[in-house]
Amino acid sequence: MRNLKSESTIETVVAIVQDLTQDWGLEYDAPIGANTMLAKDLQFASVDIIQLCVALEECHGCRLGFQDLLMKDGSYVGDLSLGHMSAFVDKQLNNAGSKL
Amino acid sequence: MTVRTLFIGMDGATFTVLNDLTNPAEGEPVMPFLARIFASGSRAKLRSTPNPLTPPAWVSLMTGRGPGHHGVFDFIRAEERGDEVFFTLYDSRDCRVETIWSIASRQGKRVAALNFPFTAPPAKDLNGFIVPGFIPWRHLRRNSHPADVYDRLKQIPNFNAQELAWDFEQEKQSGDELSDHDREAWVSYHLPREQQWFKVAEYLMREESPELMAVLFDGVDKLQHQAWTFVDPAFQTGELSEFHQRMRKLSLSYFRQLDGFIEKLVTAAGPEVQVFFASDHGFTASTEIVRINAFLAEKGYVFWKDLPEGEAGKRRDNSYFAYLDWTKTIAYCRTPSSNGITIRVARQPGESGIAPSEYNAVRARLIKDLEEFKDPQTGERIIAEIHKREDVFPGAAMTDGPDLLLVLRDFGFVSVKNKHPVVEKREYPVGTHHPDGVFIAYGPGIEAGKMLGRRHITDVSSTLLYSLGLPVPSDFEGTVPTGMFTPQYKAAHPIVIGAPTRSDSKEVQIDAMDGEEKQKIMEQLQMLGYME
Repeated sequence: MRNLKSESTIETVVAIVQDLTQDWGLEYDAPIGANTMLAKDLQFASVDIIQLCVALEECHGCRLGFQDLLMKDGSYVGDLSLGHMSAFVDKQLNNAGSKL
Repeated sequence: MTVRTLFIGMDGATFTVLNDLTNPAEGEPVMPFLARIFASGSRAKLRSTPNPLTPPAWVSLMTGRGPGHHGVFDFIRAEERGDEVFFTLYDSRDCRVETIWSIASRQGKRVAALNFPFTAPPAKDLNGFIVPGFIPWRHLRRNSHPADVYDRLKQIPNFNAQELAWDFEQEKQSGDELSDHDREAWVSYHLPREQQWFKVAEYLMREESPELMAVLFDGVDKLQHQAWTFVDPAFQTGELSEFHQRMRKLSLSYFRQLDGFIEKLVTAAGPEVQVFFASDHGFTASTEIVRINAFLAEKGYVFWKDLPEGEAGKRRDNSYFAYLDWTKTIAYCRTPSSNGITIRVARQPGESGIAPSEYNAVRARLIKDLEEFKDPQTGERIIAEIHKREDVFPGAAMTDGPDLLLVLRDFGFVSVKNKHPVVEKREYPVGTHHPDGVFIAYGPGIEAGKMLGRRHITDVSSTLLYSLGLPVPSDFEGTVPTGMFTPQYKAAHPIVIGAPTRSDSKEVQIDAMDGEEKQKIMEQLQMLGYME
């Protein structure tokens, strides 16, 4: 698994998503960035979102508690922007840092 | 470097079928090469994990440890969160103990493991190749090891990742009742898949010659789920319909093709290589549907949640895991494949679930209710065996497993749907998992034509390490079946019990955000029904 960790979290998320989707044959031709929606723009299914979470956790070397992002009141989130993913990862990493 | 040990996994293979295909009552064998292996090798029934299911069983085969130690109990992992239950998929990081791929790697052996479940994401310290199984094609690239192997595989003529990989939508059909047309399509779908895995195995064996070469053919299981009545010899009597005969012919073509792949791999490996085959469980026929959560609802343990309107409700109803009112439910079955019941214990006062002090009493009442769940016609128990988790899942991971493990009288998997009646005869028998799989050995140093007593699935990992010339870790639960090897071989290659396995450096778990932060983010999200 390639390490695509960048200076900023959003760059890391974008790099991983680009790597994940490189041979999916997507018709989305806008640049992938913070406003890109996983399901609507990149055709992510639930299993793809799980795999993205795994890739981000592998990249950071820790579990990030994505259940707090993906679920509320027994229902699962239908779509997420890369910006939301990035903000969540930042918060989790900062929380971890402040506890150390 | 040359291949020293070849391991061929056959998910769900059973002697009930293989004996018939290698030694039929009449005509030529469908699997002539496997017949030769039976004649000149050793074999034994292989007892699976307490729940004979792909995730715990293959992980036990790969680690030499039971589910109570390795911690993988099902396809879907659930996390109790007070008034919510979060469901996600197990992956390799959930396995708490070392696999034979890592054990062999750190002792300098080069390995290749193809299509094995829960090998993704791959271990970072692996010496060799992982192309994981049970991963959608869109994620094979990132989950294969080393990073360039996927692009190398794409150079294989006619390589097709979409044919090779797990398709979740297709696989969901394995336990469903399908139309005749869909059953035929289901069997046909698995023929090219195995061809793809064979080509990958052939390529890596030729180009890389890893000392431990392992490939899993999982079509045996998938085919048998929907085509059991066409392959089990017990169903081939009397007047057979035209559809039955066509399906049998199609199913046998799968096994004929598999026999050809086995012959080519064994031949390519060479005469000096020891070859082992194993399945994670066997197969038998399931004749009834048991709606366990509907039964638990009748008894006051389960409370249903109202399904959403429209398409979302239909998707929810067809989903793989339970959809319940978590504020009231106190004991439930999470998924059909778990065949288990989880008792909800409140983690703190005020949370949903029973108080910890009530656990033993609730569990005892639950067991009594399940024992009294009987066939009204015959008085026979619907649930033949009820196991407490400490009896079947001893180990540090025990509390991740269900509190009770159920064995149905026909070995079937339960339904978690809100439907009645709670027990219903199936329209036609479907294949389900039987605890006895297969273990076969062949090659130099292997006893010829020998049928051994039943072995345990954890014995396979000990045997593969022994064949590689490595010590068997002292904390492995399995042992090397000494009767499988000739006296001369054992004298020249004594079994060595070595140091225990290494515990994985566990990842840091970052705690959840506090409630206010969580709420802030959640409010920004569109709630559409992810994972349904």
